[in-house]
Amino acid sequence: MKRLSVILTLLVIVVLLIAACGPKPTPEPEDKLAEVLARGVLIISTDPAYPPQSELVEGAERPADTKCTSDQHTASEFRGFDIEVAKEIARRLGVEPCFVTPNWDLIVAGGWSDRWDISIGSMTITPNRMEKLYFSQPYYTTPAAFFVHQDNTTFTQPSDLSGKRIGFGVGTTYEYYLEGTLEIPGEEIEFVVQDPVIKPYDTDLFALEDLALGDGVRLDAVLTAQPTGAGAIADGMPIKQLGDPVFFEYLAAAVDKAAGKDPIPLIQRVSEIINEMHQDGTLLQLSQEYYGLDLTSAAAEFDLDALGQFNQ
Amino acid sequence: MVEEQETIQQSAPSPDPDLEVGLALVRRAKRQRLIETIKIGIVWVFLVALLTLGLLQLRFDPGYVFQHFGFVLEGVLTTIGVSLASIAIASVLALFGALGRLSRNPIAQGISGFYVSVIRGTPLLIQIYFIYLGLPQIGQQLIQMGHPKLGELFTLSEIQSGILALSLNYGAYMTEVFRAGLQSVGHGQREAAAALGMNRAQMLRRIILPQAIRVIIPAIGNQFIAMQKDSALVSVMGVWEITFRANRFARKDSKFIEMFLVAATLYWILTIISSWLQSRLERRMARAYER
Repeated sequence: MKRLSVILTLLVIVVLLIAACGPKPTPEPEDKLAEVLARGVLIISTDPAYPPQSELVEGAERPADTKCTSDQHTASEFRGFDIEVAKEIARRLGVEPCFVTPNWDLIVAGGWSDRWDISIGSMTITPNRMEKLYFSQPYYTTPAAFFVHQDNTTFTQPSDLSGKRIGFGVGTTYEYYLEGTLEIPGEEIEFVVQDPVIKPYDTDLFALEDLALGDGVRLDAVLTAQPTGAGAIADGMPIKQLGDPVFFEYLAAAVDKAAGKDPIPLIQRVSEIINEMHQDGTLLQLSQEYYGLDLTSAAAEFDLDALGQFNQ
Repeated sequence: MVEEQETIQQSAPSPDPDLEVGLALVRRAKRQRLIETIKIGIVWVFLVALLTLGLLQLRFDPGYVFQHFGFVLEGVLTTIGVSLASIAIASVLALFGALGRLSRNPIAQGISGFYVSVIRGTPLLIQIYFIYLGLPQIGQQLIQMGHPKLGELFTLSEIQSGILALSLNYGAYMTEVFRAGLQSVGHGQREAAAALGMNRAQMLRRIILPQAIRVIIPAIGNQFIAMQKDSALVSVMGVWEITFRANRFARKDSKFIEMFLVAATLYWILTIISSWLQSRLERRMARAYER
């Protein structure tokens, strides 16, 4: 009986400890940028589900002197284009990058509750997302393209896919494109596919897996990023790109409008840094390294002020 | 019981015909059990072979599994940790839930009944989202109302949210388990305790719980096995447990079957170990009733 009360007491202690481990309040800094600089750490969200933008590294060692907490991850545990950009932004801010890995739909939903400071995760600027998030200057663009099975001969251009079964990652711009609701600031979009049977997937790669099962077995086509599809093809998936890209996405860093401290100075500073990285060729070089293409020049010319983010 | 009789044999060398017959019976029963176990084992080996054969028909690369299973293996500790913490908290919740259900106090009964109904009536994944996304919003309201310390407590990290969601969820299911356990203690025990002048708290602590625990513990083991697999759901918040590691790593080289195979095998091994521990515990708990 004594033992039972000891166990119960221990349990209560465990519960209290868990409750006590919550985030500590930091009252002094007035805005997000000041908070990040004072902390010496930029907490970045990344979903390592999208190589070559972000992927996991096997057997990674955490640096001994890291300021990242135990439930955050150090830059050494990831690899990819987004990760390189994030590391460079943190370096120019003079802080250490630490990463957290929530699901993508939690990142784009906004309302981060200050669990992380910024998303550097190839997020497309859309009016929908602008309701919840502030965007930085885009650091590159991604062409979106349809992919079909290698054996297919009936489709010759994207408009042939009208009424067909098309897979995509849930919560992505590809979903909005197929629904015909996608709006990209500064771009005229032509919705060439009419009334597709939409097949949402957890991520684009699951859709590609299903497409690879065979021509028309589960899917007729997948709409995803050209680099994602090209990567799958390089990994030996029996698929091919159908026609030209159907639209271009501008991909930027983002902060949560509902953050506890004013996030505008942080996103403005990050935009400045991204502009510097466009000018000194850092981004172009990374783009060549990861995609073998110049995906950044169009992003450098993007007129961020035209979005009018801070006017409301 | 087998061991007990063997010790009797050693300590009593004098020939006793009744004991001889009894020991012969025990030996025969033991032999039959062994033969049965072997038969079942053969069926298992056959089924495992069949499963392997089936898996080999999939488009998958065994070499990749052997090269990269270590990355998923690192998630085992997280899975076990999250499950253990959750089952511990869930047990406490379930105890209070069961006491509430059995009490004659309408408030306690109402709270406990409502808790069990709400939690059992909604999917675990949605509960996780509510705790991860919803609680911080309540916290923000509290901060605005001038309770910053209290508000901060509502913003749980991903692991804390996961443990809380799993605890609440399993606590509701286990409330019924605990209730059955408490009710299994005969009414005479309560009357005897009352006759000795114990109050309700003493009765519960000294008489009812120690006996109910025998019924409850094996059932907790069962819930723990289920929880290890349900803990996969916390991966949506980015906790690096088995499923997250398998899923995200697979995307690198599009090796989903390979990595999910690793994850499934790890879960299976975990549950085999847990079942074994559970059966040992069950045997130990049943010892008092053996004669």
